[in-house]
Amino acid sequence: MKHWILILAAVVLSACATSVERVASDSTIDLSGAWNDTDSRLVAEEMIQDALSRPWIGEFTGRTGQRPAVIVGTVRNLSHEHINVKTFVADMERALVNSGRVDFVASRDERGEVRDERIDQDLNAREDTRNAAGQELGADFMLQGQINTIIDAEGKEQVRYYQVDLTMISMADNRKVWLGQKKIKKYVKNAKLRY
Amino acid sequence: MNTQRLALIGLFSALLLLQACAAWQVNQAAASLATAGPRATLARLEQIPTSGRDQAQLLLNTGVLKLYLGDWQGSRDDLEQAKAIMSSMQAVSVTENFAAMTANETLRTYNGTPTDQVLVHVMLALGYLLSGDPDGARVEMLQADVTMQRLAEEDSTLGQLASARFLAGLIYEVNGERDDALISYRRAYNILSDRGEPIPEALQISLLNLTQRQGFRQEYEAFSKRFGRQAQLPATDEGEWFLIYFDGVISNKTETRLSVYDGEVDTMVSVVMPHYAPVNYQPRGLTLVGGQRQRSAMIENLEVRARQDLDAQRAKLLAAATVRAVAKYKMVQEAQSKGDFGGILMNIATVASEQADVRSWNMLPSSVQVARITSKLNQPVSLAERAVTLPPQSEFAPAGKAIVLASSLIDQVYSWPSLPPQPTALPVAEQAGTQSPEENPAQGESDAAP
Repeated sequence: MKHWILILAAVVLSACATSVERVASDSTIDLSGAWNDTDSRLVAEEMIQDALSRPWIGEFTGRTGQRPAVIVGTVRNLSHEHINVKTFVADMERALVNSGRVDFVASRDERGEVRDERIDQDLNAREDTRNAAGQELGADFMLQGQINTIIDAEGKEQVRYYQVDLTMISMADNRKVWLGQKKIKKYVKNAKLRY
Repeated sequence: MNTQRLALIGLFSALLLLQACAAWQVNQAAASLATAGPRATLARLEQIPTSGRDQAQLLLNTGVLKLYLGDWQGSRDDLEQAKAIMSSMQAVSVTENFAAMTANETLRTYNGTPTDQVLVHVMLALGYLLSGDPDGARVEMLQADVTMQRLAEEDSTLGQLASARFLAGLIYEVNGERDDALISYRRAYNILSDRGEPIPEALQISLLNLTQRQGFRQEYEAFSKRFGRQAQLPATDEGEWFLIYFDGVISNKTETRLSVYDGEVDTMVSVVMPHYAPVNYQPRGLTLVGGQRQRSAMIENLEVRARQDLDAQRAKLLAAATVRAVAKYKMVQEAQSKGDFGGILMNIATVASEQADVRSWNMLPSSVQVARITSKLNQPVSLAERAVTLPPQSEFAPAGKAIVLASSLIDQVYSWPSLPPQPTALPVAEQAGTQSPEENPAQGESDAAP
């Protein structure tokens, strides 16, 4: 009898312990049904593939002989969730820069620090290593976008629809040269009972 | 009955009493909030040991106190956690139901009343907005909409908050989404109309302004006739000021106990129910003075909402209390059949363990009030009863829209967009020098009682 009690106690205690397991970063694990890393990755993959396969890059390069320089503008979260849009935008930046066909320039948020550093260099860095102000690369295109959601809920069931729209706008004439879109739909059933 | 069993009964009863003790301490802290102020109350709350079952209640309270104090990040962290707990507790718990049916209602995890479940989004939205993230506030308002849809019932406004609808309208409006703003204002109007409550002036102006701007002529005229006023669209050199004012502190729940002694079997049976004592809440407003002058008017009487939430639960609570009383009566009888001492002890334990669930989000204001005026962009605006002067919008709100949050618990006022650092934002009495909050160094703060 005592052995059974010990075994039962061990089972109960093991259920209380925290367990950690390493999983592949591209594995799909859905816990709550909310936006997660898989959704971010799916959006990034779709957008990268689409952005690189459309003619806007080739047209610009053919016309100017240079790679287009892109600045990331505002990607607004108009969804029902607090979504970190920086994850898939960063994925896009990385893939586009690594493709060797597009340059990205620092965004409004990022460049303040760079400019401060340049001012600091003016005061403190050796003259031959200083970077002068006024030599920044101006962007040819701005990437803007938004995430929208539609939630349909009844009782413990929910359909969550996400639509991510990204737009590449020409800084020269406001033309929209690329429109990327990714739609994700989820059916979420919440538990009616818990322990 | 053997000694081990008696010890177990004693231990179990002691644990239940400890639980009740924590709830009592939280209620005491809430009762003294108006005099002690948010900072001292927050420190006091953090000293109270709470169980996991009370975690959501604690976080709701600390979250709203941090909001009063202008600690946006801390407030958001706490309220987001509370929201997640309440959301995960929507499923029915087998063990908690069993415990509640056999011991008392405090053994359920606190998952908030319908009002709490919506109001958590309102408080979060204010936190996001005042920290300079209107998109984050918009997310919360969309979530509030989903929550209110889930709670919606025919012929009842339970879980439907006019304040949440009004704030959603305000957030859409400052985001330039006038069609969504109008829908939200209409919903706020419908909720108040269904309840037979007066329509605050700020909501009247919002409905008139937006129906006129959107070109809904017939609707505009109907509202204009109903309210006896015209739209107040700002001129090109004017901006709009919105005030959200939290007045007072909401009442605590107490318990009513009905004990019956059955002399034939020498047994005491107790039935306890939570209740709110009658309150004669007298709202006090705050007057926004600029190009116009408007006293804040109540859009949500949270004293009434809390009582309605409890009334809606009453039948369920009474049924559970009755089942529990029968079960405990049987337990006492069984114990008595095995010996007098065991029976007495079991009777004491069953009576002592019968505790009403008096937990609530009890650091909320008694009412949410709103005001809305237009004023010249270069004209300062003041809060009359506070002797607080806010700088002209030309100095900090280029879009010509500013939202101000004030509470009767604290002299500090907050604004979106953030006020520029200048001494005019300080209440006169505060200018002698008080500690500045992290977000807006221009704004002094004191935990003064009203």
